[in-house]
Amino acid sequence: MQEKQFGAHSSSAIIAVDRISKTFPNGVTALNDFSTTIRRSEVVVVIGPSGSGKSTFLRCLNGLEEIDSGSIIVDGIALDDNKKNRLEIRKEVGMVFQQFNLFPHMTVRDNINLAQQLVRKKTKAEATEMTMDLLRKVNITEKADAFPAQLSGGQQQRVAIARALAMMPKVMLFDEATSALDPEMIGEVLEVMKTLAREGMTMVVVTHEMGFAREVSDQVIFMENGKIVEVGTAEHFFYQPREERTRIFLSQILS
Amino acid sequence: MRKKPKLTPLDAVIALLISALLGYIGYRINIGLQYKWNWGAIPQYLFRLDTATGNWTANLLMQGLLTTIRLSIWATLIATIIGTIAGFFRVSSSLFKRLLGRTFVELIRNTPPLVLIFIFYFFVSDQIMPVLGVDDFARNASETTQSLLTFFFAPPRFFSAFISATMTVAIFEAAYITEIIRAGIQSIEKGQFEAAYALGLSWRQKMQHVILPQAIQRILPPLAGQFISTIKDSAIVSVISIPELCFQGMELMAATYLTFECWITITVLYLVLTLSLSLAVERLEIFMRRSSV
Repeated sequence: MQEKQFGAHSSSAIIAVDRISKTFPNGVTALNDFSTTIRRSEVVVVIGPSGSGKSTFLRCLNGLEEIDSGSIIVDGIALDDNKKNRLEIRKEVGMVFQQFNLFPHMTVRDNINLAQQLVRKKTKAEATEMTMDLLRKVNITEKADAFPAQLSGGQQQRVAIARALAMMPKVMLFDEATSALDPEMIGEVLEVMKTLAREGMTMVVVTHEMGFAREVSDQVIFMENGKIVEVGTAEHFFYQPREERTRIFLSQILS
Repeated sequence: MRKKPKLTPLDAVIALLISALLGYIGYRINIGLQYKWNWGAIPQYLFRLDTATGNWTANLLMQGLLTTIRLSIWATLIATIIGTIAGFFRVSSSLFKRLLGRTFVELIRNTPPLVLIFIFYFFVSDQIMPVLGVDDFARNASETTQSLLTFFFAPPRFFSAFISATMTVAIFEAAYITEIIRAGIQSIEKGQFEAAYALGLSWRQKMQHVILPQAIQRILPPLAGQFISTIKDSAIVSVISIPELCFQGMELMAATYLTFECWITITVLYLVLTLSLSLAVERLEIFMRRSSV
């Protein structure tokens, strides 16, 4: 296995989630007394049947969803009602969505430049330099002047990853990043995600890609009904699951 | 392949019935009312020869049309400003602002405009205008200012009334524009708001750079449509003696008794204005659809 680049603090927690609960207005309980700790440079894969609360958990980590109770601390900052704290966390936590959510009225370059210029206060030249580096990294430099609608799903998702990386986040959240893609495009996006993982990026990944989970994850969380059913390393999780429920789930999706 | 237009028997019957009805109305007017048409008298009320300068100038009806246009443009502009603010209130995260926006919209939209006109007009022109000194300003302005005011708004003697009427129509139209703005913002996919949030953009940055540039494409066509509505709705200020097209029509009718000529002319004038704008809006919509692909 490759050496992690930013492994210096790999033992310290970057996200501490303590007993959070969340019930939607329609009465569905998405998270029920949920706790976990995510360490620096760790790749955490969250799996579970649909409606298990895994996306809600992810969306709570940057405040896209409000929690009813409990606490979330990201890199020492409490995610609470304080707008300043919230902004700080939003800056440090990048997010990649299932539907890409690129800004359709802007070119690829401007999509990636925008937050650098507005939030990081970079000049256009500085931002563009970083943007081109990132486009090289996700292997799509030739599309810098294209609009999102002119790109394939896989290309759009790689641009979306570059856009999130442009903020130099400390954590990256992936919310079913490959679920909306045609099968032949899933590989190119997973490749970029694997590269990030190898470079030591802290990642929380909600996915159905068990191959990805087995290959790069440090920790697998299996959720159901807003609770953790089982947590463990990929090795443990896929080959020696303790819980009966985990075994049933794995047999269903791996068959 | 384009289908050839075909006249079905039903179409022919309907066409026949409509022409029979029109023929009967014409018959009633000419024979029953013994109406004496006098179209020759109308053109002089559109334009008249100014004997002092030797130029043709706008007369009663044309002046009315111009007042209608001025009033509609200013009312739409002001309504757009109020409507944009109220529209943002409607989608605000603050409950109080949402309540304010909603109350404004529901209050205005569920009240007869005529009632609003009376309330607003008598309050605004009685209380607000004197406090602001609008009347004194218009009357005591220099000659160049006065001619500018006349060109862009109304002659000094009508100035204060014109402003009150414009404000009244503007507040009325603003309620509808509020809903256009709200619908435009809410029509943007949730993912766009979430992506902007996750990137750390402030509310203002999110609106300015991400949401509004997309929403404006969906807002412009109905906004232009609302401008046409404003032209039609502006006829209502005739009840408070603003010399716009409808009011001038009533004046003319009272003076000449040329009921049909007068109102048909006014109908045509409104139609020329609104139909040409409708065509322009249609063009705008096609253009917007093309540029958004």
